[in-house]
Amino acid sequence: MRIDRTHKPWAMTAAVLLIVGLFGYVWYAASQPGGPRGGTAVGLTFGIIGYAFMLFEGLLGARKKVPVWRLGRAQSWMRGHLWIGLVTLPLILFHAGFAFRGPLTLVLMILFFIVYFSGIFGAVLQHYLPKMLTSRVPLETIYEEIPHVRQQLRDEAEELVTTLAVGDDVEPVDKTRFREACKSTILPFLEAPEATKGALASEHESVIVFDSLRRSMPAPLHPILGDLQGICEEERQLIRQRRMYHWLHVWLLVHVPLSIALLVLGGVHAILALRF
Amino acid sequence: MAGRTRSTKKLSQRIDRRYFKKSFPIPHWRRVLSVALTAVGLVWIGWTVLAGKPAYNAGPVAHAHKLVGNDCKSCHEQSSLWGTKTSDKACLTCHDAPVHQAAQTFTPECTECHVEHQGSFKLAATPNATCTQCHSDLKMKDGKTNFAVNVKSFSDGHPEFAAVKAGHAPDPGTIKLNHQIHLKKDLRGADGKPVQLLCEDCHHSNLAAPRVRPAVSNVDAAAMTSNIRSVSPEMTPATFERDCKSCHPLEFDKRFKDPAPHKDAKEVDAYVREQYTTYIAQHPNEIHEQLRLNQDLPARPVPAAPRNAAEWVNQRTEEAERLLWQKDCKECHQLTYPAPMAAPEIPKANTTTRWMNNAWFDHKAHQLVACAECHTDAPKSQKTEDVLLPNIATCQKCHNDSANAAAANCSECHVYHDWSKAKPVKSTATISELKR
Repeated sequence: MRIDRTHKPWAMTAAVLLIVGLFGYVWYAASQPGGPRGGTAVGLTFGIIGYAFMLFEGLLGARKKVPVWRLGRAQSWMRGHLWIGLVTLPLILFHAGFAFRGPLTLVLMILFFIVYFSGIFGAVLQHYLPKMLTSRVPLETIYEEIPHVRQQLRDEAEELVTTLAVGDDVEPVDKTRFREACKSTILPFLEAPEATKGALASEHESVIVFDSLRRSMPAPLHPILGDLQGICEEERQLIRQRRMYHWLHVWLLVHVPLSIALLVLGGVHAILALRF
Repeated sequence: MAGRTRSTKKLSQRIDRRYFKKSFPIPHWRRVLSVALTAVGLVWIGWTVLAGKPAYNAGPVAHAHKLVGNDCKSCHEQSSLWGTKTSDKACLTCHDAPVHQAAQTFTPECTECHVEHQGSFKLAATPNATCTQCHSDLKMKDGKTNFAVNVKSFSDGHPEFAAVKAGHAPDPGTIKLNHQIHLKKDLRGADGKPVQLLCEDCHHSNLAAPRVRPAVSNVDAAAMTSNIRSVSPEMTPATFERDCKSCHPLEFDKRFKDPAPHKDAKEVDAYVREQYTTYIAQHPNEIHEQLRLNQDLPARPVPAAPRNAAEWVNQRTEEAERLLWQKDCKECHQLTYPAPMAAPEIPKANTTTRWMNNAWFDHKAHQLVACAECHTDAPKSQKTEDVLLPNIATCQKCHNDSANAAAANCSECHVYHDWSKAKPVKSTATISELKR
């Protein structure tokens, strides 16, 4: 998700919330004789608002589970998730009076910092990578379909190599030589594209390989070589897409599980803190 | 490439319509980690509860409460179905907390000033705001107060120390002492050689004084005095025997090695008379020797030669006492004579051992600083009346609100509770109860 002008209302809302919270905290910290603490009325208010914002943040995941429900656009939820999330950490720090105190609160704070900064890292990636993906992977497909598409590309390449639909213009010897050349260079790459460090994994070296094949093979086979070169190019784009997808999503392995743990343990903290 | 086309049909064939039923690594591990991490967190909390050190503890308790730190009920009383509350009653079970000032308009709860669960530090070291919430705009029930009413911090609004503020009373001491002369370089010492006296030659730190500040309140003068008296002063006053005698011996006659005692006139008279009586008994051939007048005293007629031992003793005693009263004693004491020929009366020294009755000062904590750095007037003081206590500006050089300054908390010098009104706490708890 790119951070552009459409974020302005959310950014303004977050800024206002932060400024109000900051002024409130400064006043509260100065007027509280024993210093700011989570257990005071103002400290609790900061805590309740902060936890409510955290729950709102968590609802983004729930919202994605029910895409057809009329609960506002997913993009709006994402913008709210980003900007409200940015304000939540200061509010929780105001709640705690910038102290970590007990073991549970210390763990919660550590979790919160990791979740917060992993979220910012993710937001930065999601701002830049999609544009890069569009320009560098024009043949992008649905990520989950990549294995299926790869299988189709392999089938297509094997069919091209097996049938060699060029009529009788090509000598059987050349056909055999062509098939063997394809089986030793092209098909292994398509079989295990991300495990191969061969020439076809590189766009530049791939051009050299195919030019060399063209020079050594009779002209009627050149259109087939062109198709195979296209298949290899599509495969390379899939490799690129997978890598970018991993960058775009692997941080969620940190952000999401820790967020859920934070929400649950935060709830435990709230319930027990209200007791004492 | 010419043979391959990306028609809609071809593209649609690429979609595996059952893909959403398959499991993919990132979403799969996201779910696994979410459940696992949350479970680990909950198990950890449960384990700490079972181990008796619950993780939800709001923070380590102060050192003084460590023994009852794991027994939440010691301080947190049930106040509703789920909630608990720390009340003054719980604190007063173990502690006494005498009132601060009878005329105060507001009494905070114990926990408002003594904030627990902040680690091992002194709970009595309360933040300034706990004091300034009243003292920055001080109001009394009767509307009258002699205290400063706008104290915001030690650097802002704190009044000058009463002992040295403009128009202050002079030092009530009666010993005539000239600090300037005593600190001169060419002073003659006990053995007649030049000596340079140092402050600590006469002003001794009382090493036996308690490190804990005494129960000084800033409430009631009488209560304060009783409190102060119960505590040995932290700087002991100079004494004649220890600090003056070596240079100022009370010699009264060269016949005797021992000087006169530093006691009241009657005891001195008895001592001197006894010395002469013993002496003449041992030297009867000196009875008729005429008295030689002391040249250091004003001229007067020479008495006739004594006729017997009693006259000899009387004449010598009178001469010795004339020397003692008019020279030795008078050097430091203001003597008064109730009758023309009577023995003089010597007033009590009336040395002030504590100048700041509303506060506590720890000389030991300041022992690295040279005395004259704070007591700047001492080296040039010539009169006993001079109050040589440093003023507040001297303290503020180090104790102020700046980042690299020494602590300037109210609790560094002041005590809130009037411990003169302390009541004993019921001693009923057993050690096993405390160690629950």
